[in-house]
Amino acid sequence: MSALPGLSWRLLRGGGRRNMLGAALTAVAVAVSTALLLFAVSANLAFQGRGDREAWRNPVPAQGGAVAVQAVRTDYVREERITVVELAALSPDAPPPPGLERFPAPGEVWLSPALAELARRLPADQRAARFAGKGGGTVGDEALIHPGELVAVRGWAPDAAVFAVRDGRETDGPREGVAPTRISDFTGKPSFDAQGYQALALIASVLMVVPLLVFGGAAARLTVARRDQRLAALRLVGATGGQVVAMTAAEAVITASAGAVAGALLYGLLIPPLTRIEIGGGPWFAADLWPGVPYTLAVLAAVPLLVGLSAVVGLRRVVVSPLGVAKRETPPAMRFVRVVALLAVLAVVPALSAGTGAGVIAVVLGLAFLSINLAGPWVVGVIGRVTARTARGPARLLAGRRLVDDPRSAWRTVSGVALTGFVAGFMLLLSPTADMLGESDASRLRITVPAERAAALTGQARERLAEAGVPAGVEVTGKGEERTLVVALAGGRDAGEVQAGRGTRGASGDAQGSASGGDGGAAAAQVDAALADRARTALDGLVPGRSATSEADEDRFGLVLIGDIGTGTLVVLVVSFLVAVVSAGITAVSSVLDRRQTYALLRLAGTPLRVLDRARRAETLIPLAVMGGGSIAVGVFCALPFAVTSVNTRGLVTLLACVVLGFAGVIGAGAASAPVLRSVTENPAPRPD
Amino acid sequence: MTAVVLEGSGLVKRFGPTVALAGAGLAIGRGEAVAIMGPSGSGKSTLLHCLAGIMKPDEGEVHLLGQRIDTMGERERSALRRTRFGFVFQFGQLLPELPADENVALPLMLGGMSRGDAVRRAREWFGPLGLGGMEERRPGELSGGQAQRVAIARALVTRPAVVFADEPTGALDQATGHDTMRLLVEATRGNDASLVVVTHDPQVARWCGRTVEVRDGRILTGAGV
Repeated sequence: MSALPGLSWRLLRGGGRRNMLGAALTAVAVAVSTALLLFAVSANLAFQGRGDREAWRNPVPAQGGAVAVQAVRTDYVREERITVVELAALSPDAPPPPGLERFPAPGEVWLSPALAELARRLPADQRAARFAGKGGGTVGDEALIHPGELVAVRGWAPDAAVFAVRDGRETDGPREGVAPTRISDFTGKPSFDAQGYQALALIASVLMVVPLLVFGGAAARLTVARRDQRLAALRLVGATGGQVVAMTAAEAVITASAGAVAGALLYGLLIPPLTRIEIGGGPWFAADLWPGVPYTLAVLAAVPLLVGLSAVVGLRRVVVSPLGVAKRETPPAMRFVRVVALLAVLAVVPALSAGTGAGVIAVVLGLAFLSINLAGPWVVGVIGRVTARTARGPARLLAGRRLVDDPRSAWRTVSGVALTGFVAGFMLLLSPTADMLGESDASRLRITVPAERAAALTGQARERLAEAGVPAGVEVTGKGEERTLVVALAGGRDAGEVQAGRGTRGASGDAQGSASGGDGGAAAAQVDAALADRARTALDGLVPGRSATSEADEDRFGLVLIGDIGTGTLVVLVVSFLVAVVSAGITAVSSVLDRRQTYALLRLAGTPLRVLDRARRAETLIPLAVMGGGSIAVGVFCALPFAVTSVNTRGLVTLLACVVLGFAGVIGAGAASAPVLRSVTENPAPRPD
Repeated sequence: MTAVVLEGSGLVKRFGPTVALAGAGLAIGRGEAVAIMGPSGSGKSTLLHCLAGIMKPDEGEVHLLGQRIDTMGERERSALRRTRFGFVFQFGQLLPELPADENVALPLMLGGMSRGDAVRRAREWFGPLGLGGMEERRPGELSGGQAQRVAIARALVTRPAVVFADEPTGALDQATGHDTMRLLVEATRGNDASLVVVTHDPQVARWCGRTVEVRDGRILTGAGV
């Protein structure tokens, strides 16, 4: 048994050009799979990392002795969110918050690098004056969600007015502000937003990983298909089943290991461009996308093992009988139970809802994916029978019979694109557009004020705005203990840019008017950003611990989220397409190599190459059209319980692009294998005798 | 004198340093059955491939019914193989995916005949060749002898001028081999086609009217019609 690995290696090396080509194709497939698998793993870790880094701003109230008091609020500058963390030490033992070298002293302001840079660029009356104080230092990366995040940490005395804010409302975390909280450390807890992003990342990973596994399995089978004959010969000369299995596994694992290492290197090279993908308002730290040594090693070990396992499963025929490969009989029809499995999973889908846990959704999606993969060969078999029955010419007849003969292999060629159809269909109803947010008003800044101080604060606000030269109307609305002070900015007058959505009656008048048109994306531009920033700066500190924000500011997270879903969809689709097209190309080439004897004999008997090409195209495109369409429909069905939108233009364009790219990719992959077909049929009788 | 259907003259074919044919020449008459014999490596299969337009000889000429075919392009030679020649090999020439009748009908469909007509014409061959009832079986479900008879039907269905057979009984037992050769020779003659059989088995050669001996790429005996 000990000589087997050596023999496997010699067989792999000595297999001739075509075998080496086959091994290279498998290695490429495994490399692409590994790189994308690492990406899928890293994406989850990256979102988890962001959640962990943000957690300190989502404080947990101290159970015992508190060492500090912390409040968080959100401010805006240039249509971007600034997270302002207010801190005061209650004890000299207060630990430094993450990213800061020490606990900020009263009066100190620490800025994140991006905010510090912005402070340098913008006039003081638009930003810098808001965070006036003694410069404490720079907030380190370990406290930031992303490199471009705007964060300010201010130190106060414990009795400062910012901590006297009365705020009983429940919030979703730092984004909506956190009322003053006494804390014993900075552990905090992941915010609701961070958990949401992690759930979405998990679902996206499932959508990416399932096709990857299918693809990896297919690649392994390819190796086996070419080895069939040789291994059957080994059985004939007396190799035991175990030896054949061991040799096959060894050969597949050697090839896959090379591919996996190449894939890890490829992923390493991809990290810098991948960090530029903006999600959650900013790009990534390179460290976020590096999965770490343990995970990388786990992937590097798991991929070759899976490929080896898949190869062994594919070898059963040879092991059962040394003649198993040579005999070709009518294959038993695929069992309908495959479709029953799909129907069973689909029956569960209506029971899901937007409130269902992400884990359950991920499992159901994964099962739907796998059951499409299970039902695929059955459907291909049916398509084959229909195609063969209705064929008039030789090309369609050959294609149809081939589909009936080996529906699994035909499915492997199109499964990638068909599964991408599922993703595109799923995303069709989950791609919200900015229109859904409606029109939001950027020209009215609002601050919550205590009722008893409303009149006084209105006056102060008018004075501050007049001093800053900001033309605006100020009024108080609402009832009860908390009122809203509304500042209606005279839109864009001094910048001469975009006009305000709502007009004002004058400095003392009531703001009224109608919102201008345009979608949510343009809403923030209803008023000149510089004017709004001057107003915010002028109003800073009017009510300590509270910021002046507009409706458009509050919708900004929604816009970012919508953009992120779009980006996420695009990333998942790009990954799926990469997998699909590479998979189609590799299986097409491999299919030619596997059937070279048949093709050579057909050529020898005078079959024109164009007939062979047409047959090959038909045996791919016919199942692709049916299964692609079916998968899109299943995807849409699976998305129905979570539909956030009706079918919209963007979703339709994405879907259409997927269909066009899918067909183009598969046709291109087939065309790329045409030279291989020519080469293997070039000399149909190469024997010199 | 029998009219010459196919003639090769001065054929030379090299594979690297190996000379497979060294100036071989051979003429086949109409309706004639010719056996090409010789030991392994003598060049008999290469001779068949050059005569059948599968390979281009490095030197020499091949004529079919007076028309030179060795200078034709691949597309024309391919069309020629489809319409004027038929082939029977040792094994593996049937498409495993297709049932027997469609395997036989395939060359007709490639020639433009409708599927219905092609299958109908193909099935006419099954009875005379003792294949009645096996029309819808796939190659894997046929015995070796049955598969060779399907291959014979496929070779003859286009009514070719010449049928080439390379070790047609090589994978069969003696009795089945005899049976297959008898059918091959009779069916070919019945269709007014010529037959060229490459074999190393004298029993097989005995079915043919003439035997050509090949050694070291040269014809030793039986070159003329």
